[in-house]
Amino acid sequence: MSFFESLRDKAVATITQVLDKKEEVKLTKDELFCKEYNLPDGETILSESAAEVGVKSSHNKDAYKNIPFPQGRVYATQHFLVFRDLFDHRNCCFTIHLLSVKKVERLPSRDYGFALTITTHSQISVTLYLIGLRSDSEKFAQTLKVILKKNLSNINKFQIFLKTCYSEYLLAKNQISNEKIDSPPNGGLGLEFKFPGNAKDSKDKSKMKLWFDLFRVDGRNLSLIKTPMFYKLVRVGLPNRLRGEIWELCCGSMYLRLADQTEYEKLLSQNMHKKSIAIEEIEKDLNRSLPEYSGYQSPIGIERLRRVLTAFSWKNPEIGYCQAMNIVVAALLIYMSEEQAFWTLNLLCDKIVPGYYSKTMYGTLLDQRVFESLVQSTLPMIWEHVEKNDIQLSVVSLPWFLSLYLTSMPLVFAFRIIDIFFLQGAKTLFQVGLAILKVNGEELLKTNDDGTFISIIKEYFNTLDQSAHPNSPNPKFRNITKFQELLVTAFKEFSIINDEMINKHRLKYRDSIFQNISSFVKRTEIRNLPKLANIDQATLSIIYDRFYAFVESYNVTLGSGSSLMDFKAFKRFMNDICDWIDNRDHQGAGVTTDDFLRRLFDNWDVEGAGFISLSDLVIGLNKLVEKDLMTSISNFFELYDVRKLGRIDREGILQVSEDLLCITSPWKDGILFDRITDGLISQTALNEQKKNPDFEGEIIIDRLKFEHQQIERYLSGASTFIQRAFEYAQPVEEEILIQDLVMDNKISHNAALNPNTPVFVNLPTFRMVVLADETYELFFSKTFRKSIHLDKPLDSKFDSIRNLRSMFDGLLADGRKVARVVRDRVDVAANNVLHNNEDNSSMKSSKSKVHEEEEERDDDFGVISINEADKDLLLGAEAQVLTDPVHPGSGANRDLKRLHQENGNVPDSERKDEKGEIKNLIEFDNS
Amino acid sequence: MSFPNPATSVKLVLLGEAAVGKSSLVLRFVSNDFQENKEPTIGAAFLTQKCTIGERTIKYEIWDTAGQERFALLAPMYYRNAQAALVVYDITKPASFIKARHWVKELHEQASKDITIALVGNKFDLVEDDEEDSLRKVSVEEGQNLAEEEGLLFFETSAKTSYNVNEVFIGIGSKIPDSSANQPEAIRENNQGRIDLTSNNASGGSSGSGDCAC
Ligand SMILES: Nc1nc2c(ncn2[C@@H]2O[C@H](COP(=O)(O)OP(=O)(O)OP(=O)(O)O)[C@@H](O)[C@H]2O)c(=O)[nH]1
Ligand SMILES: [Mg+2]
Repeated sequence: MSFFESLRDKAVATITQVLDKKEEVKLTKDELFCKEYNLPDGETILSESAAEVGVKSSHNKDAYKNIPFPQGRVYATQHFLVFRDLFDHRNCCFTIHLLSVKKVERLPSRDYGFALTITTHSQISVTLYLIGLRSDSEKFAQTLKVILKKNLSNINKFQIFLKTCYSEYLLAKNQISNEKIDSPPNGGLGLEFKFPGNAKDSKDKSKMKLWFDLFRVDGRNLSLIKTPMFYKLVRVGLPNRLRGEIWELCCGSMYLRLADQTEYEKLLSQNMHKKSIAIEEIEKDLNRSLPEYSGYQSPIGIERLRRVLTAFSWKNPEIGYCQAMNIVVAALLIYMSEEQAFWTLNLLCDKIVPGYYSKTMYGTLLDQRVFESLVQSTLPMIWEHVEKNDIQLSVVSLPWFLSLYLTSMPLVFAFRIIDIFFLQGAKTLFQVGLAILKVNGEELLKTNDDGTFISIIKEYFNTLDQSAHPNSPNPKFRNITKFQELLVTAFKEFSIINDEMINKHRLKYRDSIFQNISSFVKRTEIRNLPKLANIDQATLSIIYDRFYAFVESYNVTLGSGSSLMDFKAFKRFMNDICDWIDNRDHQGAGVTTDDFLRRLFDNWDVEGAGFISLSDLVIGLNKLVEKDLMTSISNFFELYDVRKLGRIDREGILQVSEDLLCITSPWKDGILFDRITDGLISQTALNEQKKNPDFEGEIIIDRLKFEHQQIERYLSGASTFIQRAFEYAQPVEEEILIQDLVMDNKISHNAALNPNTPVFVNLPTFRMVVLADETYELFFSKTFRKSIHLDKPLDSKFDSIRNLRSMFDGLLADGRKVARVVRDRVDVAANNVLHNNEDNSSMKSSKSKVHEEEEERDDDFGVISINEADKDLLLGAEAQVLTDPVHPGSGANRDLKRLHQENGNVPDSERKDEKGEIKNLIEFDNS
Repeated sequence: MSFPNPATSVKLVLLGEAAVGKSSLVLRFVSNDFQENKEPTIGAAFLTQKCTIGERTIKYEIWDTAGQERFALLAPMYYRNAQAALVVYDITKPASFIKARHWVKELHEQASKDITIALVGNKFDLVEDDEEDSLRKVSVEEGQNLAEEEGLLFFETSAKTSYNVNEVFIGIGSKIPDSSANQPEAIRENNQGRIDLTSNNASGGSSGSGDCAC
C-alpha cells in the first residue's frame, strides 16, 4: 500500500469515527480550561488543589462582599493562578497573572493544614487554604514556587504593561498605588473626540467611582478577584474610560497583549509599503467606518483604523479583511488603544466568533442557521409566520451578528450589549437577537413581507431610549426604557440559551453549511475557468473534485490554505486517471513515466513556481486529450521545445523517444490493446465465424499471438521513430554554426555527420516522423487520449474524504491555532522593547470639541464620594434583573466560616509582620 | 380602462464589487439623497420604492447586497426569485468591471431564467469634467459591448449628481413583462384586475425622471 493510500485510509477511519459519533472533537481538559477562563492557548494545568480562599486588601474597609471564605478549586498553569468557587463559579473567581504576584508566604498552621498567602502588586492578599493530603499541598506549593521563579524573567514586561492600564493610572492618581504613572495611558479616540452618548445620562462618573472602589478592594487588571459586584458593574454598562480595559480583561485579550508587547509594531514596520488584496479592501472602507463619529472625520482616527486593520491582515492572511471588521474595529478604537483593539480583534476572530470573518464566512452562515433554529424552538409562532410568508430572517439578523449590533442600533446601546458580549461570549448575540424578535413579536406577526418586517425592527432600534410602557399608570413601569426591557428579556427569558446549546446546534448544521459552501465555491471556480474545447462541464466538475482531493493542504470550506498543486499531488492525480503511469519503484534507474510527468508539470506551471493551479491543470489536460491529430502532435512537440524556438535538439529527440517508450509501455508490454490489435482480433473472430457459421460457444483467440504482434509493432515503432528523427534532423543553421566555430576556433567541414554536431527537428519534421508509423500515428490520434480517463468518477470513498476532511479541519481549526501561537511566541521572545505609541502627543489638538460640562477627566476619587442615590439606581433595578441570583452561602460554606473563625488564622496586617520574621516560611518574594 | 393601476411588485437585486455605489444608487432612487461616506452594506439591505411608468405603477422591492468578494456566498439567498438585477461597476475601477462580468454570468446560470438585468457603470460625475478621460478606466463601448453580448440594459449613472439614476429603474420597469411580475409574492391579489400596459410604454430609459414617483 502506498504511503498516500494508507494516509487516506487513516483519514477516513478518523473522520468516520468523528462523524459517526456526531460529537464535537473532544477538547482536552487543558483546552477546556483555557476556554473557560479565556487563557491564551497553550496554558496547561500544572497543579491543582481543593482550596478555600480568604481575600484581604488594605482598602477593604467598605467591602461589600460577605462571603469571606469561598470554597473551590485552585489551579496553577504556566502563567496563571486560577481559582473558581464551587458555588456558582461567579461568587469568587480569580485569574491572577503570576507576574503580578509579589510575595507568597506559608502560614504557620496548627490543625487546619496548609495555607499560602499570596500578595499581589494590587495590594490584595489572597490566602489559599489548601485542602487535601499534606504531601499534595506541598507539591502544589512547590510547583507554584517553580513557575513563579520562571516568570520572574519577564517582570520587565509587567512593569511596562501596568503603565498601559487605565485602572493603574486611576489609582496612582489618587495615591492608592505606589506605581508612578504620570500621564494617562494610550486609550481610545473617545478621550480626545468625546465618547458617544451623554456621560451624565449614563452616570459615567458614578460608575467610575464604583469601579475605583472595586479596584481598591478586589484588585484590578492582572490580579482581579471577580465577585458578584464585578459582574454587576459590567452589566450596568461600563464607564467610558475603563471600558477598553474591562473588555480586554473580560475576553482575555489582555493576556495576549501582555505576552506580545512588540508584535503589533513589528507587524506594521515589517510590512510597511507592502500591498495585498486585503490592503486594497481596507483602503476602500476606511472612510466608511462609523463616518458620523468625529474621530473618523479626522486623520487621527482613520490612521489608527488603518493600522489596526492592516496589522491584523498581515498577522492573519487566511482572513485578511472582511467588511464589518471595519465597523467593529472602529467601535473598539473609540475605547481602546490600537494595541488593545488589535489583540481584541485577534481574539474575536480566533475564539469568540470563529469563522465570522473568514473567506467563506462559514461561521456567519452557520450561526444564522443556528439562530433560525433557536427562533424555531423558542419562538414557534414567529417562526411559523416567517416561514409562511417567506420572510428572509437572515437579512435582518445577519448584520446583527456580523457587526455585533453596531450597525443596527444606536451606538450607546450597542456598546452596552458589547460589554456583556465580551463577558459572556457569543451566546449574548443569540440572546439579544431572540429578545428583539420576542419584544416585537406582536407587531411582527402582523407583517407579511420582508419590507414591513424590516421597518418594524428599524423603528424599534430607533426608539430604544423610549419608554417600554408609555401608558402605564405606574411611573416605575413608565420609566423602563425599551432598551432595559430588551436586556431583561435577553438575559432573563433567554438565559436558557447557553454555550452548550449553541454548540449542539452548530454541530447539527455544520455538515449542511459546509456542503453549501463547498458547492458554491465549486460552481464559482468552475465558472471562472477558461472555456475548453476538449473538456465538458461535467468532466470539469470531476476534475475539480479530484484536484482538491489531491491538494491536501487546501480546505475549500474554510477558504484557507493553499489551492495550488505541487508535483507530488500532480503525480497522484495523474496516476488516478492515466493507464500508462508506472508506479513501480525504479530506484532511480533509467527513464520512468515520472520524467514525462515532470515535463508536463513544468510545461503547465507557466510561472515556474513549482505549483499549478486548477486552471493551469485543466488547460494542460485539455491539450493532452486534444482530438485533432495535428494539434495533438504539436502539443506534444511543444513539451520538448522548452525554449520555444520551434525546434527540438538532439538531446530532446532522445528524450522524446525514451518518454514515448515509457508512456507506450502498457501497449508495448501487451497489457493493453490498441485499436489496431482490437481490429485484428475482431477480424479474426469474424473470419472464424465465417468459416464455421454453425459454431456455437466461445471462439478461442490466441491472445498471446496478438500480444506478440502488438509488442513487435510498438518496438518497431519506437526504433523507426528514433531512426527517422535523426535521419531527417537538420543541422543547426550555418551562420550560427560558423559563429560557434569561429569562437571555438575549431574547423569542421562535415558538421552534419558529426554525432556531436547540433541538429534539430522542427514541427513539420516531427509530424512527418510520427505520421510515418501507423502505430505512433494511432497513438497520437486515439490511443493516448483514450488512456486518460478525465471523466472517471472520483472514488466515492475518496470524494467523501474531501468534503469530510474539510469539515474535520473545520472542527479542529475553530479557535485553535496552537502551532502558530507557539511559533509567534518564539519569534517574539528575543525582542522585548516596547515601542511607545507616538500618537499620544499628536492627539491633544481637538480638545476644544469636548464640552466642559461633560468633561470628566478629574478622576480624583480620593476626595469624591459617590452619590448614594446614584449608586442605588445603578446597582438597583437594572442590575438586579441582569444579575444571576445570588443565594446565601450554603451550609458547607457557613461551617467553613466558623472553622476559620475558630482557628483564627485569617491573615491580617499585624500577623503578617510577625510572620515576616520567620524567614524560612517565605516561599517567594518579588518585592 | 377604468381600473386604477395596481402596483406590480418587482423584486430587484443589486450586485457588484464593494464600494461601486450600489447602496448610493438605491439611496438616490429611494430618498433622493447622497452620502459622501456610506458605510459598507453588511449582508444585505432591503428597501422599497414605488415608481410610475406611464400608467403602470411598479413597487420595487430592492435587495441591496454587500459587495466584498466573500459576501458572494450570501448572494444566492438574495437574488433567488429576483425579476430584475442591477449589476453595478465603477467606471473608474477596471477590476469592478471584471467583477460585473462574473455577476452577469452567475445570474444567467443561477437566477430565474427571465430575469431582466441592467448593467450600470456608476460614478459618472468623476469623469464628467475630466477632459483627458484620465480617471475613466472603463469605456462606454466596453460597457455597451458586454451589455449587447449578454442581452442587458446599459446605463452610466452618478448617484452623486443623480444623473441617469431614475432612468435605470424606469428602463428596468419598462422591460419587465407584466405577467412575470408579482411572481415571488405568491399572493396574486389583483390578478384579474391587472392590465398589460407594457405595450403602452416607451422602451429604454429615455423617459424623464418626472415620471418616477419618487
Ligand atoms: N463620486 C461618486 N461617489 C460615489 C457615487 N456613488 C457612490 N459613491 C461613493 O462611493 C462609496 C461607496 O458607495 P456605496 O454606495 O456604499 O457602495 P456599495 O456598492 O454599496 O458598497 P458595498 O456596500 O461595500 O458593497 C461611498 O463613499 C459613496 O459616497 C457616485 O456616483 N459618484
Ligand atoms: Mg452597499
